[in-house]
Amino acid sequence: MSAPPKPVPLTTVESTETSDSGAQTLTLSVGPQHSGSGHMRLIVEVDGDIIVNVAPDPGYVHRGIEKIIELRNIIKSIPVIERPSIIDSSNLNHAWVRSIEEIQGVEVPRRGQYLRTLLNEMNRIMSHLYWLSIYGVFLGHTTMFMWPLGDRELFIDMAEKLTGARITYSYLVPGGVRRDLPPGFAEEAVKRTEYFEKRLKEYDRIFFNNPLFTSRAKGIGVLSKEKAIELGCTGPTLRGSGVDADLRKDEPYAAYPELDFEVSTRPDGDSFSRAMVHMDEMRESCKIIRQIVKKIPAGPIRRKAPIVLPRGVAYGRVESARGECSFYLIGEGGDKPYRARYITGSYRNMAAIPAVLLGNRLADMPTAWWSIDYWPVEADR
Amino acid sequence: MVVEGSLSAQRTAQEEDPVATLAEGLSIWVGKLSDLVKRVVDTGPIRNVINWARMYSLWPVNITTACCSAEFGAASGARHDLERFGVLPIGSLRQSDLIVIEGTITKKMAKRLRMIYDQMALPRYVIAMGDCAMSGGLFHDSYSIVNGAHEFVPVDVYVPGCPPRPEALEQAIIMLQEKIRRSKVYEQG
Repeated sequence: MSAPPKPVPLTTVESTETSDSGAQTLTLSVGPQHSGSGHMRLIVEVDGDIIVNVAPDPGYVHRGIEKIIELRNIIKSIPVIERPSIIDSSNLNHAWVRSIEEIQGVEVPRRGQYLRTLLNEMNRIMSHLYWLSIYGVFLGHTTMFMWPLGDRELFIDMAEKLTGARITYSYLVPGGVRRDLPPGFAEEAVKRTEYFEKRLKEYDRIFFNNPLFTSRAKGIGVLSKEKAIELGCTGPTLRGSGVDADLRKDEPYAAYPELDFEVSTRPDGDSFSRAMVHMDEMRESCKIIRQIVKKIPAGPIRRKAPIVLPRGVAYGRVESARGECSFYLIGEGGDKPYRARYITGSYRNMAAIPAVLLGNRLADMPTAWWSIDYWPVEADR
Repeated sequence: MVVEGSLSAQRTAQEEDPVATLAEGLSIWVGKLSDLVKRVVDTGPIRNVINWARMYSLWPVNITTACCSAEFGAASGARHDLERFGVLPIGSLRQSDLIVIEGTITKKMAKRLRMIYDQMALPRYVIAMGDCAMSGGLFHDSYSIVNGAHEFVPVDVYVPGCPPRPEALEQAIIMLQEKIRRSKVYEQG
């Protein structure tokens, strides 16, 4: 009996080189109605099972926010600025008020700075938890969808006590913040963050140390250090590729210079290391929240700032949950800006989508794609 | 005169064709029968059973338009758990009954939403979530959005808020269920 013939591979590396003829590849439209895309569309070209070309098609949530900012005064713009990423709203708001204060020359009281940092870090945890829950459901792990969303409510409750709203706070205003700490907040914060850190260990056990996740995430969607820098990535995507860049350390603002925390980086640049950067950041944020409620100084929370933007140019940037969020603001003396350029973390990380997807299998697309934490509403603005 | 003559000739030919006559009679009869079936189905007990089944299996399609999706996610999550109302997000259009329009609808997205609505099987329901889906809301003066979902799809329930709390979305689901319970079987969606 002769030996069985060798199986012919459906996809070979050579075939991708001849894919320009168009005969061997298939173009798929993933989104906008798709469980794995969100509010955007990816035009994916596959050769067999291998992704050979990716073209992101953003703009499904483009609302013209930069133009709207020019039409409203600087206080009325705050809710509009928060909307692109309402799961991370106070960080975006922080970039806006920082750029206004830079033009106005207003100094924020120290207690106000601490309260800003407190809400920023709570927002970072909430945003990462939302990201994690969607990551879980993308990978078919329904427990990892339910747990993070349930634990997210811990912080939503705290933020609601502090600001009065669940996710859209409008808490940061030029000159300070709107409200002081409610009574009993410090004990509640310590209790809840300690409980949450215990929960994070359970996350590790059920998801991050689970072969179901590790076998699908390790070595998938690799973005090398050089490539990440070349594409201008930012935030956890950049730190997941081993670059130690965090505006909270590099260009300290608000209360960060007085707080003790570490910047998490992972050298591998694959989906797993980007996910672990998010986990580490949540742990660090818990530490920061506990430090803030312990060290917060007494004093005023807000200094009076005029609702006028004097003639001048400012560039205010902060480290939001998805990376660097910045405003380039031009004032012309009225209560409205002449021009405001608004750049968010997701917008900059969009360039990384083709880079992490190319050469992977189609089945690995959700793992690789969602690990960049791309939030289309924030990117389209 | 020529035209009139040819028309009458056609008519007589049709009247004499036995197959055509039979088919016409049959279609009238089938039509009457289907009317009868509809009337029987819409009587109390059968209608109640069908509506009961529809009320508790409202599967929304996986489409997100803007930022209210964060609160939709929170409502599907552990604390609020929309699944206890029978709401389970599903990827397939053929098996879904509900579109929850989550927030601002841009012009680019409105076309896709209408396409999705047209592809869904009857009965289908629409919940417009958030101020933007009702009237444009915070972005009413933007150059790239549609001011309200009712401009391109019929809407069953509106949920005000920017964004609405998960409890408000739950209430909208309950209101939609109440609407289904009271409506006739063949007049839904």
